[in-house]
Amino acid sequence: MKIRAIALNTFKEAIRDRILYLLLFFAAACIILSRILALLAVGDRAKIITDVGLASISLFGVLMAILIGTGLVYKEIDKRTIYTLLAKPIQRYQFLLGKYLGLLLTLAVMLVLMTLIFLVLLFLHRYPVEGNFFMAILFIFVELCLITAVAMLFSCFSTPILSTLYSLSFYLIGHISWGLETLINKMPTGVLKTLARILYTFLPDLENFNFKTEVVHLLPIPPKIFLYSTLYGLSYTVFILVLATLIFRRRDFI
Amino acid sequence: MIVSCASFLGLKTITDEIPRAHVPGASIIYIPSGKYLKHATFGYSSLAADLIYVWAIQYYSDYSIADRYDHLDHIFSIIAELDPRYLDPYEMGAIIAVYEARDPYLAFKVLDRGLEKNPDQWIFPYQAGHYAASILKDYELARQYYKRTMEIQGAPDIAKRLYADASFKGMDYQTAWENWREIFETTEDERIKKIASNHLYQVKSAMDIARIEEAIEKYREKFGRVPGNLDQLVRTGFLISVPKDQDDNDYIYNPETGKIEPPLTWWKR
Amino acid sequence: MDTVLRIENLHKTFRTGFIPKGKKILNGISLDIKGGEIFGYLGPNGAGKTTTLKCVLGLIFPDKGKIEIFGYSNLSVKAKEKIGFLPENPYFYDYLTATEFLGFYSDLTLVKKEEKPAKVETLLKLVGLEHAAGLQLRKYSRGMLQRIGLAQALVNDPSLVFLDEPLGGLDPLGRKEIRDVIIRLKEEGKTVFLSSHILQDIEMICDRVAILVEGQIINQGALQDLISETVSVTEITISGMQATDCEGLGECYSAQEGRILLKVFEEDKIPDVLQLVQAKKGKIHSLIPRTETLEDLFVGAVKQK
Repeated sequence: MKIRAIALNTFKEAIRDRILYLLLFFAAACIILSRILALLAVGDRAKIITDVGLASISLFGVLMAILIGTGLVYKEIDKRTIYTLLAKPIQRYQFLLGKYLGLLLTLAVMLVLMTLIFLVLLFLHRYPVEGNFFMAILFIFVELCLITAVAMLFSCFSTPILSTLYSLSFYLIGHISWGLETLINKMPTGVLKTLARILYTFLPDLENFNFKTEVVHLLPIPPKIFLYSTLYGLSYTVFILVLATLIFRRRDFI
Repeated sequence: MIVSCASFLGLKTITDEIPRAHVPGASIIYIPSGKYLKHATFGYSSLAADLIYVWAIQYYSDYSIADRYDHLDHIFSIIAELDPRYLDPYEMGAIIAVYEARDPYLAFKVLDRGLEKNPDQWIFPYQAGHYAASILKDYELARQYYKRTMEIQGAPDIAKRLYADASFKGMDYQTAWENWREIFETTEDERIKKIASNHLYQVKSAMDIARIEEAIEKYREKFGRVPGNLDQLVRTGFLISVPKDQDDNDYIYNPETGKIEPPLTWWKR
Repeated sequence: MDTVLRIENLHKTFRTGFIPKGKKILNGISLDIKGGEIFGYLGPNGAGKTTTLKCVLGLIFPDKGKIEIFGYSNLSVKAKEKIGFLPENPYFYDYLTATEFLGFYSDLTLVKKEEKPAKVETLLKLVGLEHAAGLQLRKYSRGMLQRIGLAQALVNDPSLVFLDEPLGGLDPLGRKEIRDVIIRLKEEGKTVFLSSHILQDIEMICDRVAILVEGQIINQGALQDLISETVSVTEITISGMQATDCEGLGECYSAQEGRILLKVFEEDKIPDVLQLVQAKKGKIHSLIPRTETLEDLFVGAVKQK
């Protein structure tokens, strides 16, 4: 399939990007250093190691997604490799989708690598691994799906530096939007409150994918939230991809 | 290149020696509250709590910082806001407060917060009870804490015994008696039965002795002297009967001093 | 012969800058390309040749106008299946080898999986790169890149091939090879649309041309129709005579080694010149009748504008 060909080619290209390995190195360093950090705490060491591990995997995963995603389409346009590609019998959306899936595959591989490093550390110290831990990792991946789509969206019309800023902003807003809800509840009813509520519903709520706290404290996670969060993530991603396709479709490649 | 390398290494060692006014970590007191800090952590609040906690341990281990206890409550409240279910800091904060800062009320604040945010953790009121009983000798407060502990599911049995004992020490003999009776009747552990029985002896003795001493006081008021023996109290109507101890032995009365003692030491039975 | 590419009244304005200032690049282009011909698209730099090509290929969207390839809309996948494109200064994924690269591009077309290896090999042989098949594209020279680009354009066996400055930056041997390939394509029945500003090559291989200046086509037609065969000037190099001897016969210039260059504009004056040289015991080194070249046509057309 044509999308598959582009995806595999993108994967081949992305996996050679040295940034990935730099970030992977930092993630590994953080995870290993967490062991030392845990020595300084009094009490539950596994908690600190798990906290640092999940945070590293999440943070560096997001950085990988943004740093490579923002160059994904831009590089093709800038280097003009896109001319010959679009002259071939493919639709523009197939091109976009192929690049997206290729990067997603790369991120999945990186995520697995980071998780393995973390698991090795846990194993060496005979700390138990929670079942929910893998769910947390899975949802980090769902979050990455959305972030990658956003990075690619910006890559369609903006330079890498600006796209990185926009994508980071999206990420940060996504993690603060719950604060807006607190604010809304305190507002007096009225037009402003309704507007704020509409804004809140529209803004990305990335906390939906954040299960780090539950995993670390071994709290139960209601199964319903798995389903709904995943669906939320997928539908928001689809929305962003469609937006990207629309922008990409009528774009002139001068 | 070698020259510049040597020079910066040398300069580093020199600047390390220069003593500088150190206010380690004081900036944390300017963070208004954990509630707002949580916004700044962008989903990494649990990790932030860890880091602040680890920092706090180092901070409180540094004895050169003279005023480090001033913001103990604030610092631990930040940790609590960031990750309310992180249990170690509550306990550690309380320990530091009690044994280092020598301020049990500070410890109570920390432990109360711990219980408020983790109503299923019996350890917090339990420890608070200990501090109240052993350090403050405020048995009423201890009693309240032990009661709270008992109400939480999963609390150890000993909480009940401590509650009963605190009641006793707080002079609420009735509650103490009722609780020890309940423990005595409901437990299947032989050792605990014995303990309960001993405590019942203790409580009964205390109650009896109090009654008798009250009677002796009234006798003295009336007759100007202490009675020769306890039967006199009954004859003169100050006592309905002379109570015996738990094992049906007589209390030992010393007519010269007017003091009563139980025949046995309760915990040696 | 039927029309394989029809462009009707193409207009395109580029707006750049914060407050868009329009720059009209294409101002009503209309072309008909017939099957089986090599069509040359000429124009000075900035005339709009590449823009026209990009409109045809769907990389740019025109403001006005219609484009049809083999009767289909130029944006449709069906049309794209029959065409190939080699852009100017091509740049490809440099970490792929030639084989991987052509394999990837063939995956995007209708080439079947089983046919792929054979196809790739044939193409590499056609452009003379089979010795560098396993080499990464980053190590390719300019000429090699041009050739692999041509191979990529032919991967789906297109009936219509668009080449934008395909001979740019090649050495004379390379240019000859590519010219030969293009002629071969024509022999196979393909149509070639060649955009260039190197006139000698166009002159050599094209059947029909169009000249584009500042967004408008000012001349188009069969090459032989446009260039007259009439001799405009005869250049004669003579030695052993003085410039003053040739007065009245034409323009006289001093040349190297004591020779003179005589430009004779009237053909009937040539026998007079020959007689004069014989009389003066001079020597004729060369006699070259110059017909109007494409360059002349081109320069004339641009100057007119």
